[in-house]
Amino acid sequence: MNNQEKQTYFSKFNNQLHILGRITLVIATLMMLAAPFVIGILLDSTPSLSGFAKGIIKVGLIYIPVGIVEFLVYAPMLGAGGSYLSFLTGNVTNLKIPCAMNARDIAKTEVGTPENEIISTLSVATSSLVTMLVIFIGVLLLVPLSPILSNPTLTPAFDNVVPALFGALGLKYFLKSPKIAIIPLICMTLLCVLVPAAISQTSLLLIPAGGLALAIGFLLFKKGKL
Amino acid sequence: MDGADCAEDAANPHHAALAIRECDVRCTASRILSVLGMEIFMDFLSQVNSLPIYLIVAAILLFIVIMCVVFLVKSYRAGIKIGMDPKVLKRAITSSATFTVLPSVSILLGVIALSGALGVPVSWLRLSVIGALQYELNVAEIAATSVGLSGLKLSEMNATAFTTIVLVMTVGILSGVVCSIFGLRKYLSKLSVKPKSSENKGKPGFGAYATIAMFIGLCSAYIGSYIGSFTSSGNYLPLVVALISALVMGIFQYFTVKKKMAWLENFDVAVSMIFGMAAAVLIHLAV
Repeated sequence: MNNQEKQTYFSKFNNQLHILGRITLVIATLMMLAAPFVIGILLDSTPSLSGFAKGIIKVGLIYIPVGIVEFLVYAPMLGAGGSYLSFLTGNVTNLKIPCAMNARDIAKTEVGTPENEIISTLSVATSSLVTMLVIFIGVLLLVPLSPILSNPTLTPAFDNVVPALFGALGLKYFLKSPKIAIIPLICMTLLCVLVPAAISQTSLLLIPAGGLALAIGFLLFKKGKL
Repeated sequence: MDGADCAEDAANPHHAALAIRECDVRCTASRILSVLGMEIFMDFLSQVNSLPIYLIVAAILLFIVIMCVVFLVKSYRAGIKIGMDPKVLKRAITSSATFTVLPSVSILLGVIALSGALGVPVSWLRLSVIGALQYELNVAEIAATSVGLSGLKLSEMNATAFTTIVLVMTVGILSGVVCSIFGLRKYLSKLSVKPKSSENKGKPGFGAYATIAMFIGLCSAYIGSYIGSFTSSGNYLPLVVALISALVMGIFQYFTVKKKMAWLENFDVAVSMIFGMAAAVLIHLAV
């Protein structure tokens, strides 16, 4: 197969992937969206629309821009097939991107070439399958453990899962850039100590806190101090 | 009936005996209700861990597994067709599989962490598709407060809150998928024509720092709220859990950064969280 034939074949193959990717993503999305409602029927309940609206506004303000930026940055690295699979199966930054980069290094292919796209798709598909398999085996082992996990003695552990996450994540990210961290941390602590009513509104505080950290980060970046 | 009502009734000698009996009945009733409350709470957990919910989750994941297999087979065949060495393709597959095992175990620990509040099947679904542990927990917490709970607390969970939380978690992370459905083809074809811009070369852009800054903001708000709840209401448990979790993360940072044991990074968040959560149980038992 000469270069011209290779390009023609690959663009035809890529077109097929786009069609297949779009159809399967639409079906998977509809299935995921239907899940809370079907679970609601089983539990004899429906999601609260006002609760959903309040929640999605706060979540959307933070995660819609993050999702779009991730798409713009990572899609070119992953190519068509890799992108459809990565954005559906998640763990993009912490797993799919490093995994695809590693496979590309091993195969010694370059960004933008058909070979690279094929390696990326193989890598992301394999990685997604392995993750699902490991979690599946784990869940099989977890099922007999369910009565233990739901024992009331362990309730404080699961009630404090969010502080456990943000303690660990906080230290990790504060160490990555203490210069950005110091002012938002002091401001948010002072606000919550002086105005205790703000504590129950932590989900709203995330927005000004994120904005403040972004603004400080941007200023430091512009001044070349990061 | 509270103590004041009982005392008022007891002041009238004709009603005293009757009131005491009524108080007993009501106190017993309230005890029964509290036991029932625990049963309802346990019943809720068994409902969200029931077989039909496992089947719903399994059906969705099976579809995604088939999708991955189809993409894998098609890409492998296309690779062979354009003349790639089958050995290279196989090495890409095996290296990706081995690369993924450790981070997957860490994702599994996330399923365990989430399963106490949302049950095993929904945690299994959420951590197998779109997002990551940080996203799921943060959004579940935001959604829980939006439906009137004081946080993502198992002890306050009910069916409406549960389904609303799952819906917010699902919709909130769809932006990447929506962009892929409507914009990926156009975006990639534009990029393949346009040459690389010069600003992308050399030093990294602000994008690399933007995610770090965003996470710093999120963590600041949460840590500030834990300090605030300690100073205002004396509720020290969230702050202590966060500190213990941070301490374990500090140990991990020492080994991953100073001792260059980068592979440990796969476990830092999950293991730190488990230590923090275990501390919550021990402190609760000790106090």
